[in-house]
Amino acid sequence: MKLTRREFSAGLAAGLAAPALMRSAWAQGATIKIGMCVPVTGPAAEQGLWAQNGAKLALAAVNKAGGVLGKQVELVIEDDQTTNPGIVLAFSKLAAQSDIVAFLGSIRSTQVQAMAPDVIKVGKPVMIGGTNPDLTHSGNPWLFRFRPNDNYSGRVIADFGVNTLGKKKWAIVHSTDAFGTAGGKALTEALTKLGAPPVLDQGYANQSQDFTPVVLAVKQSGADVLGTYFTFENDLGIFARQLRQLGVNIPWVGSPSVVAVSSTKLAGPALFGTYGVADFAEDSSDTAKAFGKAYRDAYKTAPDNQSAWPYDAITILSAAINKAGSTDPTKIREAILATQKFAGAEGEYNFDKNGDGLHGYNVVKNDKGKIVYDKHIDFND
Amino acid sequence: MDLVLQLLFTGIGIGAVYALVALGFVLIFRATNVVNFAQGEFSMVAAYLMVVCVELGLPYWLSFVIALAGMALLGVIFNLGVYYPLRHRTYLPVIIATIGASILLSNSVLAIYGPQPQVLQGWFETPGIQLGPVYLDSQYLLIIGVTILLVLFNFWFFEKTLLGKKLQATSQDKEMASLLGISVSTMIMITFIYSAVLGGLAGILVAPVLFVSIQMGSTIALKAFAATIIGGFGDVAGAIVGGLALGVIETFGAAYISVPYKDGFAFLVLIAFLVFRPQGIFGERVAEKA
Repeated sequence: MKLTRREFSAGLAAGLAAPALMRSAWAQGATIKIGMCVPVTGPAAEQGLWAQNGAKLALAAVNKAGGVLGKQVELVIEDDQTTNPGIVLAFSKLAAQSDIVAFLGSIRSTQVQAMAPDVIKVGKPVMIGGTNPDLTHSGNPWLFRFRPNDNYSGRVIADFGVNTLGKKKWAIVHSTDAFGTAGGKALTEALTKLGAPPVLDQGYANQSQDFTPVVLAVKQSGADVLGTYFTFENDLGIFARQLRQLGVNIPWVGSPSVVAVSSTKLAGPALFGTYGVADFAEDSSDTAKAFGKAYRDAYKTAPDNQSAWPYDAITILSAAINKAGSTDPTKIREAILATQKFAGAEGEYNFDKNGDGLHGYNVVKNDKGKIVYDKHIDFND
Repeated sequence: MDLVLQLLFTGIGIGAVYALVALGFVLIFRATNVVNFAQGEFSMVAAYLMVVCVELGLPYWLSFVIALAGMALLGVIFNLGVYYPLRHRTYLPVIIATIGASILLSNSVLAIYGPQPQVLQGWFETPGIQLGPVYLDSQYLLIIGVTILLVLFNFWFFEKTLLGKKLQATSQDKEMASLLGISVSTMIMITFIYSAVLGGLAGILVAPVLFVSIQMGSTIALKAFAATIIGGFGDVAGAIVGGLALGVIETFGAAYISVPYKDGFAFLVLIAFLVFRPQGIFGERVAEKA
């Protein structure tokens, strides 16, 4: 037999490609794949790393316990560049791999909003951490939230200030972006329901270099308690310092940024004695404590909500696929929605029909620079 | 009245910051006829240098000297790397190169230091003094003091010293200056060094108030740029007056009209000037350059 040059090249190509093809076919059956869109580059790259840490910690535990449907679970990570176009691209790359059974999306509401239309098209479950209530309330059946939404933060801030601190004259300060406006509105509504409508509702634009006019407005309103929704920690730090400098020392209950590690560091003593709502508090439950210990052992640093929600998401998703007994998207969806009284690092998960797993917040206090757990407030509706 | 005094003090304080950065814009514009869009990043880089030195345990004054020396070096590199290769081209490639440099600087710092804002302690132990009804932040007092000193220094330097006069001659007519034996490229080098140090000084002074973050430069620079136009592009006194006016206007606008639209007042004033007096407050003197 005489081999032509063309036949020889074709044979060579097939010979070279065969092992690769075989490997991919083998891999398809050997593991269960979960896709994760996460910032590897861009301004939230550091938080992205924490999110991967949390997810990998849960993954190791799941695989050690025998995996999912008898197979090991594998995480496929794609960089969302901390931008909206970035996450759309990352998700489409992952969605093109047909053997990925479910996904982890973003902690940022705006990014989840950007990818949501593609999520409907793909029709597979996506776990998210964004807290804008609309995300799970606009008819998208494939989004499942692993953090409490912002309706609850407003209600918890109001409930804690009115019922625990006994304060009724509220000043609200919030940023004028989507997060701050929605938060301010939720807090105003919750306070009005409790019979304590705010005496001041003051918005500010992000990256303000000076908060003197805002502080003077709070001072003149005669409020005896302050509720805040700050988006950026540096804004919060400047505001806190100027607030104390101009002699305003009323109790303060704020959104999670008040008790964030970086705000505590930036503002120093100006934030001592303030309260904040936090979806993750290490001392809030035994599961949170266990997660905290495992995370510290593995990564030598303290965990926060950035790593807690992906941890819960992987744990609950794996359990749900096992319960569903298949990787069929609809069956996984039903199994996630059926998850009740599940103790996670972020709190007790009781999924509702919208796909919201958590319905309350922890209240924590800045005790001379140390964040300590105060109480957990949950709602049934 | 107490309220007015308090607002006036913070307005002037924040205005002085804009004025310092605006001064850097003006000096480079006079020397090279281009706007240096990396001027804000100079402030940011200097603040980070300061944070690094302080964290290494160096005394505050030494950190200050090292940070400013670092800025002088950055001025040299910037001149040689960004301006010099394009000096015979029109202004457009140079402006685009400065924008590129600004992106490079901020992302380099982001890559090295991460996105979390940093804290830099102020010069003084006491955070401020209560003077009757008005609280005077010590760092703002320092910023205002330094601005006054710099105005005096600039006047003396540009009007009374030979080097200052050479710099002025270069900015007014490069060909004529070189015919008179002035080394134009040296003068431009000196201008870049001085602007980088000035921008750095602004960054270090404002860091204890606004914290040290990647965005700190660009937010201030935007306002400083507006201040430069209001004052009259290319005029040193104009930059100072424009900066102070902008600080006071936005603070009072925020307090008496609307807080969320605070930045809007600054830019409304800018638009008004562009429409009705595009040459700025001290505009006439720019005309003499033509």
